[in-house]
Amino acid sequence: MNGALVTLRKELLSYCTSPVSWIIGVVFYLWRGYEMSLVAEQFAYFRGDQDLFPPSTYGLGSTFLMVMLVPGILTMRCFAEERRTGSIETLMTAPVRDGEIVFGKWAAAAAFFALLWLPSVLVLQLLELPPFLDADLAFGPVFAAYLGMFLLSGMLLAFGCFASSLTDNVLLAAVLAMLFNFALMRLPQQLAAQLGPDASYYARELLDKLDVMRNFTEWFARGLVDTSQIAFYVGGVLFFLFLTTVSLASRRVA
Amino acid sequence: MICVRDLSKRFGPTLAVDRISFEIGRGEIVGFLGPNGAGKTTTIRVLTGFHPATSGSASIDGHDVATASLAARRRIGYLPENVPIYPDLRVVEYLRYRAALKGVPARSRRAAVAQAMARAGIEEVARKLCGHVSRGYRQRVGLADALVANPPILILDEPTSGLDPNQRRRIKQVVRELAQEHTVLFSSHILTEVEDVSSRIIVIHRGRLRADGPARELVARSAARRLRVRAACDLARLTELVRGIAGLTVDRGSAAPPDAAVVEASVAAAAEPAAEVGRRLLAAGIAVHELQVALPTLEEYFHAVTEGSDRAEEHQLAAAAEGAA
Repeated sequence: MNGALVTLRKELLSYCTSPVSWIIGVVFYLWRGYEMSLVAEQFAYFRGDQDLFPPSTYGLGSTFLMVMLVPGILTMRCFAEERRTGSIETLMTAPVRDGEIVFGKWAAAAAFFALLWLPSVLVLQLLELPPFLDADLAFGPVFAAYLGMFLLSGMLLAFGCFASSLTDNVLLAAVLAMLFNFALMRLPQQLAAQLGPDASYYARELLDKLDVMRNFTEWFARGLVDTSQIAFYVGGVLFFLFLTTVSLASRRVA
Repeated sequence: MICVRDLSKRFGPTLAVDRISFEIGRGEIVGFLGPNGAGKTTTIRVLTGFHPATSGSASIDGHDVATASLAARRRIGYLPENVPIYPDLRVVEYLRYRAALKGVPARSRRAAVAQAMARAGIEEVARKLCGHVSRGYRQRVGLADALVANPPILILDEPTSGLDPNQRRRIKQVVRELAQEHTVLFSSHILTEVEDVSSRIIVIHRGRLRADGPARELVARSAARRLRVRAACDLARLTELVRGIAGLTVDRGSAAPPDAAVVEASVAAAAEPAAEVGRRLLAAGIAVHELQVALPTLEEYFHAVTEGSDRAEEHQLAAAAEGAA
């Protein structure tokens, strides 16, 4: 795993020094901060409903930005940029397994994504203090929702890596990843609605697992963490990382 | 150390490398020559594990590049033609990253990077961003990268391309120094450079191996040699004596007043006709003023084994087509 760790460290450094990462961070925090102030005002005005607070903290436009748009932007350079500049040649002729490189790049993107969210957890903690809401908020569901979001984002980042391995155009890689993210959030619901009463059990189950929006509202946001959901997202990560490795290997053959 | 057997590489309909074979022993420094598009970079990319071969095999220090790619790659330091380095990293950071990626232990990494930078002569740009260094330094950063894990084999693809004469001189000097501890294969189409540095050359053209051996020997046996004889007789007599000697084709002759003639002829590959020319002239009782075989320069030799061989092939094809018609 030496190659994966080395790649992780180098990529994380690149994220921290990239202007794109800082722009994402600034836009996210400004937007998030503004939305959180609105949520807090409402919470204070209605004398706080503990059940509604957790869903309202992540069901915001900034969350939508982070989950749908950001994974594609973070991962767009992973392999597309290496291909564009030719550094893929030195990378792939180094004595490291393709899988280690892929895992290292994904892990760096996931770690940076988690870093982007960290301050927003602190904001929630701040809201509990007397100068703000002075309320004892239910953090269990909030943390469960964060866990669910990280699992989903991990899968989307893995798809982003895969999209980036398919092209040497970073913009195309980002758009491809965003389209996938959008489809994953919308399509399962739409398809499930189209299913007739005689549809197979497996089709329903599959669409149910793929319906990431419902997974949030009905499971993670209510503080329910189901191992099958975790297995689904971890499986998704591994699946897309595997596809990325195969894509790299096939490009080596080309 | 490097063993290539019947190696071919095809990209769709294009045959980039066509059944080439060669071996490079420990401590050799071999120039890999060929015009642009000859298949040098493709061959090198197969050796470094970047492309798989379509057929044939290649091994590095006994490790097949296809089946034991990781072990083969551990033994290679590779400098690609266009050195791609991450513009947002400092030179020293880039080299530390590459050293770590190549498995240089953390405790010796700093020293390994310092040594590689010293050998490539890039200490003064160590703190500069890779994106801000000049092309010459960029090439040397690539060389330091190839050296940083101290591999036994160095494969350098056009290490001096695009450099100014001073930078070229510096790279040549480094390559010469490296030959004491490493096996070096370096490609180039700058012939003087290859002649200066390498102990042996391999010429490839249109994917095929055209020549393999020490440069001087190849030139001495080449078809690009010319024989010149000046003797005390008339031109017709001299031409008659020289014509008909195996491996000699008379190109031109002229009278050399007051009483001599000069004939110039091409010498076929591996032929040694000078002794026979001398013997015939002596037997005829003709005084020989001058008899010499001029060796071609490496440039002339290169031209002969690349474009010259193309023309020979074209003639053969034309003759075959005429025969068929």
